[in-house]
Amino acid sequence: MQKRHQVIIAAGLVGIAVLVAPATASPVVSKDATLPVGSDLHEELLDQPTELFSFEMAGGKRSYLFNLGDMLFSSPAIFGGKARDAGMSCNSCHQQGASNPKLFVPGLSKRPGTFDTTGALFNAKADNGVFDPVTVPSLRGAKYLAPYGHDGRFGSLRDFARNVIVNEFAGPEPSGQTLDALITYINEISFLPNEKLTTDGRLTAKAPDAARRGEALFNKPFPRDASMSCATCHQANAAFVDRKVHDIGTGGFFKTKTLLNAKFNAPYFHDGRFDTFDEVVGYFDKHYDLGLTEAERADLVAYLDTVGDADKPFTPNTVQAEIDELAAFVSVLDVAIPAHETDVVLLTVESVGGEWREVGENFPDRKDTSVEGGVAERLRARAGVRDLVLTLRRVAMAAQAGDFTEAAQIYGEYKQVAVAVAPYLKAAEQWSLYNPVVHDQHFAALRRLADLGK
Amino acid sequence: MTMPAHFTSMRSRITKIGFAIALLAALPAGAQAASMKEGIKAYKPFIVERIGMAIAGAKDMQTAVKAGDVKAAQAAWIKSRRGWEAMEPVTGTYFDEFDKSVDPWPNAKSGYHAIEVVLFQANKTEGLDQPIAEMLANMDRFEKRLKAPKFTFAPQKLLEGTANLAYEVGEEKSGGGESPYAATSIIDMQENIGGVEFAYKTVFADTLKKKDAKLAAIIDERIENLKKLVGVADIKSMDAKKVHVAGEELAALMLTAAPKLGLKSFKVGDEDEGADTDKEKAK
Repeated sequence: MQKRHQVIIAAGLVGIAVLVAPATASPVVSKDATLPVGSDLHEELLDQPTELFSFEMAGGKRSYLFNLGDMLFSSPAIFGGKARDAGMSCNSCHQQGASNPKLFVPGLSKRPGTFDTTGALFNAKADNGVFDPVTVPSLRGAKYLAPYGHDGRFGSLRDFARNVIVNEFAGPEPSGQTLDALITYINEISFLPNEKLTTDGRLTAKAPDAARRGEALFNKPFPRDASMSCATCHQANAAFVDRKVHDIGTGGFFKTKTLLNAKFNAPYFHDGRFDTFDEVVGYFDKHYDLGLTEAERADLVAYLDTVGDADKPFTPNTVQAEIDELAAFVSVLDVAIPAHETDVVLLTVESVGGEWREVGENFPDRKDTSVEGGVAERLRARAGVRDLVLTLRRVAMAAQAGDFTEAAQIYGEYKQVAVAVAPYLKAAEQWSLYNPVVHDQHFAALRRLADLGK
Repeated sequence: MTMPAHFTSMRSRITKIGFAIALLAALPAGAQAASMKEGIKAYKPFIVERIGMAIAGAKDMQTAVKAGDVKAAQAAWIKSRRGWEAMEPVTGTYFDEFDKSVDPWPNAKSGYHAIEVVLFQANKTEGLDQPIAEMLANMDRFEKRLKAPKFTFAPQKLLEGTANLAYEVGEEKSGGGESPYAATSIIDMQENIGGVEFAYKTVFADTLKKKDAKLAAIIDERIENLKKLVGVADIKSMDAKKVHVAGEELAALMLTAAPKLGLKSFKVGDEDEGADTDKEKAK
């Protein structure tokens, strides 16, 4: 047996041919799957959205609450029903705290990157009978971007997060600590640095000339209403938002979106109707009768492109990065076991064990004929992951039995196993899906297999 | 809603027989051996019987494909696969090159899944003569090696293979499991657990009862629990989280039992990597 990395076979469903590198929620080919055939959670394995935390930039450290929140953000265990069964977590949609422009679930998505949060699939109780998908927002800089929800219906991030867990994804009522932890984590997700922009939203010398011309247009009063400009709502010194909702002719009141790192947040507008800045500028030009020339439109697009950029938008994933992340996640047990917090121990075992299994699946087993070489190394890596998962499971069994002394002892074993396994994982990395060549061979083989079904 | 024919057939099979009953009926008399040595002897005929089932199913499939009968070929594919899946405690560790050629993933040229996609997704039989013939040839070679008088299983490797299979049963199945195109992954899981149960009860259970009756009872209970959890019509009806936890608990308990059975404790890096089969291949 082995877990299946799958490719979509009905590419027409999403209108694009998809090559993906997911470890958990691959595009669905099976009618036996939890999500509908054609679903693509598009969880990137190789080049992941860069994740930067405020405390890192300030030279701080990960707190217990942050680690717990980071772990819970990646945990299906806080959801219920189909979302949990499908292995979905907050991170499925908000990958590394960013958006997910290619996410697609038939019946819930109108186009990639959109999702109907009030559909019946994940929580029949929340079904409003309207097919009204909205974009998946990036959470970068979320602490500056209240109110929350596209229509700004939630004043606090805490209320918004609870609604996602309980109403959108049918999870159990989260504990106070769970919400505190999640909010601690989300509040630390920072905008990515952009060398073309000052901290107060001005262009630097590194910005192109077209963007400078666009900046002037951005601040220029509208011809038919001199009290307004683009900058009226997108205030440069306030994360390019005004924290208000407006009706801009798109079917209701929707909050002002930040422009920071927005280059990576397509599709645009609440319902994702536009794929490019050019389309966005074209809409405003028409709606507000701006009378822009073609050159002016191009300059505004250049400005948005420059403001929305990031110095390092994506970061290659590595085995070491996975090891480091899971070490941070599991450190929650340093506190939860001595505190006899059974619920947190079980959540951590589920989450970290599940994450380890995903890592293990990135080392193809001997039946994967698309990968050549390194069989012994790959099998040793897989076996090492299995040992980690099963040691964690024993921690959970001891905690459930109320024997926290035993749980602490086994957790000590886990730490030793983790140290022993790390070199095996790194030794096998070149034959794993973390290697782009191996990755491409593996997924090409999956596509060839799927093509047989056509 | 009308069920696909193969699906109806699968449900019917489960209802009429029940994988657990079928497996118990397959147990040779006195299979729960008093010693692991006797158990190992009793285990081999089970694998012989299951590879025989895999071969018989593949031959039926060959006949159906030649006749262009998609439904019959689908049913035969399921029959063959049932035989194969119960052997998984040993396919990877003792027959790795056959495991790779009969059940490769992902592979569009040969093996169960290349055939599965065509039969169940394209609903065709065209182009399957060669992959089925190749699969049969590999199964025949598997059977020949297995039936060699000197061929025997070892408790250490068998325990790890069995625990490993229990661990894999607990894998996430949200993508549709191991047979995603046929949508028969629940049968794979039922056969897997049947294979785990047979290996454990035939080879290890009695010895463990003598050494640690409490642990043996817990393992028995976990196996029964897993059987109940997968005793459903399809994996959508299964409580995936409970199966996941139960599979991991069973695997962890089995590995913990090793020293109590007089076997070597499993240590990181000591895992079997098919070295024995490599030696055999070199001969």
